[in-house]
Amino acid sequence: MKPPMHVAKENEVASIGLPRVPKQDEQTAVLKKLDDLRSSMRSLMVMLENCTKCGNCAKQCHSYLGTEDYHNFPAARADLMRRIYKRYFTWTGRTFGRFFGADDFDADTLSKWLTYFYQCNECRRCAKFCPFGIDTAEVTIAARHILSEIGIMPKFMQGIAVNMNKTGNNMGIPQPAIVDCAEFMEDEMREETGLDIKIPIDKPNSDILYIPSSADFFTNVDTMIGAAKLFHYLGVNWTIPSTVLEAANFGLLFNLNVMREHNQRLKAAATAVGAKLVIQGECGHGWRAAKAYTDGCSAPVSFEIVHILDYCDQHLGKLPLKKLPLRATLHDPCNYARAGEIVEQPRRIMRACVENFVEMTPNRDENFCCGGGSGILMDEMMEIRMKLGKKKAEQVIALGKLDYLAMPCSICKAQIPVVMKYYGVDDLMMGGVMDLVGKAMILGEA
Amino acid sequence: MLYFVGQIFPYIAAAVFLVGMIWRVWTWLNVPVPFGLTLSPAPRTLTGKAAAFGRELALFRSLWSGDRGLWLAAWLMHVSLFMVIGGHIVGISTLGNEFTAIGLTSEQSQRVSGIMAVASGLLLFFTLTVLLYRRTAIPEVKRLSDPADYFDLMLILAVVVSGLHMRLTSIEVDIAAVRAYMGGILSFQPVPIPNEWIFISHFFLVNLLLLYFPFSKLVHLAGSMVNQAMLIASPPVYPSSMKVDSSRVQSNVQIWRGGSQQ
Ligand code: HEM
Ligand code: SF4
Ligand code: SF4
Repeated sequence: MKPPMHVAKENEVASIGLPRVPKQDEQTAVLKKLDDLRSSMRSLMVMLENCTKCGNCAKQCHSYLGTEDYHNFPAARADLMRRIYKRYFTWTGRTFGRFFGADDFDADTLSKWLTYFYQCNECRRCAKFCPFGIDTAEVTIAARHILSEIGIMPKFMQGIAVNMNKTGNNMGIPQPAIVDCAEFMEDEMREETGLDIKIPIDKPNSDILYIPSSADFFTNVDTMIGAAKLFHYLGVNWTIPSTVLEAANFGLLFNLNVMREHNQRLKAAATAVGAKLVIQGECGHGWRAAKAYTDGCSAPVSFEIVHILDYCDQHLGKLPLKKLPLRATLHDPCNYARAGEIVEQPRRIMRACVENFVEMTPNRDENFCCGGGSGILMDEMMEIRMKLGKKKAEQVIALGKLDYLAMPCSICKAQIPVVMKYYGVDDLMMGGVMDLVGKAMILGEA
Repeated sequence: MLYFVGQIFPYIAAAVFLVGMIWRVWTWLNVPVPFGLTLSPAPRTLTGKAAAFGRELALFRSLWSGDRGLWLAAWLMHVSLFMVIGGHIVGISTLGNEFTAIGLTSEQSQRVSGIMAVASGLLLFFTLTVLLYRRTAIPEVKRLSDPADYFDLMLILAVVVSGLHMRLTSIEVDIAAVRAYMGGILSFQPVPIPNEWIFISHFFLVNLLLLYFPFSKLVHLAGSMVNQAMLIASPPVYPSSMKVDSSRVQSNVQIWRGGSQQ
């Protein structure tokens, strides 16, 4: 079986400190890593040992609904690991094998893992509908971690790791370019409002550290502008660290040690400028990584961590907003709705910024993933990505004529426009929620 | 042989069940939770958590919002299962006189007790059959199922059928004799098992089920609670002063060096 993505080469994985284990040692190395993980992550152990195989999760996974590939059915996906786990780490599996659903590690095991654990968006919708709350995303995280530890990962992830190591952001933007981009956006805002709205980079002694998504410096500048206007209006002392120009934490998506290391970098940046408040920009899994994982990675920390939408919502009453004449809807990024409690805030903000806000169904914590989540934005997987996005497209199309689709997450912003186009919708404006705030805010004399 | 089945095997089965379950749960709780995995929206108050826990465990809320047909079969199966288990405890210890507590005569109580036993037994039989059928009828579920998944259902069915057999055919099993026997077992002074083959098979199958329980997916009885507890834990609050116990993780999952050039 050939995985659908470009796999990083031996010299490439070695360059990020995760050398490839020789073929003949793979099994031993994988089992060793699995043993380590099961004794350090309760979730993994409980989830691998408690599925009753009821099948309720099948219809809840957009990945299975879109691809109709059996191994994308959450319980079947987890079974790719569960069968190995049972075979080597449970008494019943060792003794009775197949009878209890245990299988030998074989030549196909790892390519199946690579193929199917990278078609899971770690969206956690299956956990919502499993009667035991079995969260296949945890199994996916573990599987990707094990693969990467033995030097197997998509080229895409390896490339991001290289960029992160070099610059602290996944697009590999060096500090001078960051400053340039910031100045460009400042000019834009000056033209629009006549005001001197700053985007301060690496400003020492700042109260607030804002961690945008690096894409906000190029493709999603309106999101950045919205945030800058908000901070300007509130008159706060804020900055963006060039060392962590990235709310995303790609480590969460392929290697837990990388995740830990990126998370500690966030702590270092906040400590360096003395920030008491860290605000995370519009990035789904980045928010999860900061909110849920900082404790396990970098505790104790001396700062507060909030999301930009939460922050904006707290100050919503004060903002000079006019309602834009739009019929708009919101796509709930999975990590906000199911792992981050950013649910009502974007709704309140949007209701304040647009005339007509409509809900898609299902929504909130039962929303379907965009199909790009967990960083599987590889170009070579386009066909699969479109299948994963099918459910999302159906949801949006069901709403009829829309003017704006808000999706406050950089991965959604990269995935959904392509999906919508693919399914025949090309007259729809799409972007973040802060974009709307920026556009609806009345600043300056105008 | 009867001596083994009646006076020794029950103790083996019970011991394996108890020790096995404690061991399984211990192996789970012994592993740290390095990173919280709260599934939001998560309840914050203790009552909220208790309610969320209860909705899942007692009402199978997630199944309800997923597949109503499965919910009905699974929920009724478990409800009738717990009615049957409860009925055994109460019915045998009072010889069917449990309803005298609500004012029935002894005779009426025994009649009601008998009807309830048969009704919940039949319901259990029926729902188990539906679940078994479902396992073969839905293609994904069929492909996902291991032999053990069928075995679990069939073992419980066998227990149910042998139990119903004593109620629904003319074979009369003397509940008083059963009570005396169970009393002997529970007081660690075992007496010979009532020599009625259908009762012996029923009792033997129950012991087999107990013996098998901790090694099978039936541990979901405890696993569901351990798992739900992780999902409804409150998310971390920052600034945080408390260091999570991640010492074990750090020794297992090494941090690789790299990072920014600075
Ligand atoms: C608090 C205790 C329990 C809870 C919350 C619980 C919950 C569940 C749930 C949600 C399912 C999935 C639905 C399904 O597949 O039908 C299930 C399946 C099952 N449960 Fe339980 N259960 C509990 C105790 C037990 C006990 C004590 C037994 C048996 C002695 C049992 C036997 C089964 C069996 C055999 C299945 C699989 C049914 C199938 O194959 O479809 N459960 N349980
Ligand atoms: S986390 Fe999402 S994509 Fe992955 S198996 Fe579950 S429902 Fe499917
Ligand atoms: S819903 Fe949960 S228990 Fe049922 S098959 Fe899926 S993972 Fe297993």
